[in-house]
Amino acid sequence: MRKFLLPTIFLILFIIESIFVELLPAELFNSANILVPRFLIIAILFLTIYGIRNQGIIYAFIFGLLFDIVYTEIIGIYLFMFPLVAYIVSKIMKVFHSHIVIVTVVSLIGVALLELSVYEIIYLIKLTTMDFTSFLQLRLLPTIILNLAFAIIFAYPLKRTFEKYTAAITNE
Amino acid sequence: MPQFFLNKRLIILLVSIIILVALIGFSLRDRDRLTWPEQFVKDTTGWVQTIFSRPAHFVAGFFENVTDLQNTYDENKQLKARLDGLAKLEADVQQLTKDNKELREILDKQDTLSAFKPIQATVIGRNPDRWHELLIIDQGEINGIKRNMAVITANGLIGKVKSTRQFTSTIQLLSAMDPTNRISARIEGGAKTYYGTIEGYDKDRELLKMKRIPYEAKIEKNQLVMTSGLGGIFPRGLPIGKVVEVVPDEYGLNQTAYLKPGANFYDIEHVMVVKREMLQPDLGEMIDEKEEEL
Repeated sequence: MRKFLLPTIFLILFIIESIFVELLPAELFNSANILVPRFLIIAILFLTIYGIRNQGIIYAFIFGLLFDIVYTEIIGIYLFMFPLVAYIVSKIMKVFHSHIVIVTVVSLIGVALLELSVYEIIYLIKLTTMDFTSFLQLRLLPTIILNLAFAIIFAYPLKRTFEKYTAAITNE
Repeated sequence: MPQFFLNKRLIILLVSIIILVALIGFSLRDRDRLTWPEQFVKDTTGWVQTIFSRPAHFVAGFFENVTDLQNTYDENKQLKARLDGLAKLEADVQQLTKDNKELREILDKQDTLSAFKPIQATVIGRNPDRWHELLIIDQGEINGIKRNMAVITANGLIGKVKSTRQFTSTIQLLSAMDPTNRISARIEGGAKTYYGTIEGYDKDRELLKMKRIPYEAKIEKNQLVMTSGLGGIFPRGLPIGKVVEVVPDEYGLNQTAYLKPGANFYDIEHVMVVKREMLQPDLGEMIDEKEEEL
């Protein structure tokens, strides 16, 4: 049972991201602001911080590949960025004490980093013509706010789940 | 420099950047089919997505119905006003259809470019990162869907099929930034019919761009734009949108029209994939011949 806990959580978040975008009210959607749900990477970052680091990076790798194949059909971008962000965040957390507020802020920094680097790659391969200032205003800021809301609601449950999971694994 | 090359992390980073570039290059190629592991993964996740999306749509539909109820009174008033004209329109349409059929029989010309067979499909996923405007639907190759088919909703054209698997397929919306996304279209309603191609989307104004319209064309606002059927894959006469503005293009040789799309690109739940009944010309042959002439 415990074996399937993490894959199930991540898979549900993976699918919820798509459903969230599909069902987002049209007024929010039609406005110039672009809200991007990044729930999956937040959960993976929490696992990297509260659970076992290498496991977090492996999940980042697997779900990055899945994200690329299923949603974007361009393999490589998320496959590369998810593990990299997880790795950088784990390095940042070596400096800080893992208090829940700090972890939330750091995982949002991770989300910002992911958005920024994905924008750079997409811009480089000319799939968008959005300039940097409008990217910051229209995309990055609303995305951060949306994911902040998600992180505030789910930070504690995620922390509990991953800590329990790690404790159970190390006891065995 | 040996220490530089012995740094394990640096080497991992460099190797993965090389792999990244290779993989992106591989997937940006104009691929006819996805590789079989991709197809397998997409079909499997498509199955899981179906399980999740049905109840989610049901719940969302319930709330939508409640908000719809609030507007019912106003809507009813408007609809009643339009109902008077409808009976006459219906009679006209029947008359015209009959005429058309009879005339066709006289000419002995049965096939038309506008005949098509719709395949109903439900949207089970949408790309969450919103750089690529992609939808995933629950119908695939076994239902007869092929690459590049047109996709419509009740209000008009929304895009084309980008790739197919056995049980699911991916749709690319017209609003996607893809230079290969071109559709042959024509402007109707004026004294003459003009042809052009739909290329690109203005994200800020949410308008489609129709390019390569002849310079002398006189186009007014609110003229209808439909597919022309000359591209070889799409049938004729699928509504795309209405003209909002016409401007000369950057060199002044052609005109560009901005169109307000008839379909909403956001609130999409059910779509129809359009299968043209007339034979599709083999584009490969046409291109080869041209090259020989050159």
